[in-house]
Amino acid sequence: MAEFMEADNAEAIITRIEHKSRKIESLLKQHKPVEALKTALEGSPPNTKDERCKSANWIVVHRAIMAIKDVDSLFSYLDPEYYDILMKYLYRGLSTGDRPTCDQCLRIHEKLTERAGLGCILRSLADTVNIV
Amino acid sequence: MANTSRLYLTCIRNTLEAAMCLQNFPCQEVERHNKPEVELKTSPELLLNPVLICRNEAEKCLIDSSINSLRISLKVKQADELENILTKKFLRFLSMRAEAFQVLRRKPVQGYDISFLVTNYHCEEMQKHKLIDFIVQFMEDIDKEISELKLSVNTRGRLVATEFLKQFI
Repeated sequence: MAEFMEADNAEAIITRIEHKSRKIESLLKQHKPVEALKTALEGSPPNTKDERCKSANWIVVHRAIMAIKDVDSLFSYLDPEYYDILMKYLYRGLSTGDRPTCDQCLRIHEKLTERAGLGCILRSLADTVNIV
Repeated sequence: MANTSRLYLTCIRNTLEAAMCLQNFPCQEVERHNKPEVELKTSPELLLNPVLICRNEAEKCLIDSSINSLRISLKVKQADELENILTKKFLRFLSMRAEAFQVLRRKPVQGYDISFLVTNYHCEEMQKHKLIDFIVQFMEDIDKEISELKLSVNTRGRLVATEFLKQFI
């Protein structure tokens, strides 16, 4: 049971990520960047060591992060359970070195730290198992 | 421009405050030895995830943490050849005198301009927030220093050239 789930796990996850990506595109067209980000963060990081799944998920989250214009309103809508995952993705964004991504991630990082505190940062540093 | 600099330094400060939780941890492999785990990387359970914070393509900061030590590596913005040479010489000058700084590493990590190594002993002797202030202040001052150096080199070059070429008028 476990083996056959592992085998098509990667494919299933990538299909799920593609579905998510379509949903996010439609949400962004309706000018709902916060819902788009929430959808992108849901169900991630997937319990897989496969690099392709992680990259696919990152691309989707990146799209949602770049679409956010108003950072303050983001935190009034986003539930606290998503803060840790968002922090992990922010660090991934900061490591890319691409100027607009880094600008946006730095902006959100400052507000997220004010909101969630240093514990959020430490959890993203200490979690070596669920790497995003 | 100044705004992203402020955000970048705030992000680094927050990350350092979270990552600088160091305690004494004697070496697991060799008895009676005490080594900075971030440098040796002998056991994965003692290391935290390394974090790379980029401001743009040219400037970045790598924060590597472990149970008893923390390594911060900086890559400074270098716009042209002259700044490249000035940065290299200036930071090499500082690294050579690492003893005086205590938290400075003698050689920067591969791919970076300068590195700091903070161990639990430093945190015991010195105050944590002052250490972080020092590092962030260092980052702010480096840019100013390099611009000043570049300005003085250009001014001196111009003066020397004017004087020298006067004899040909």
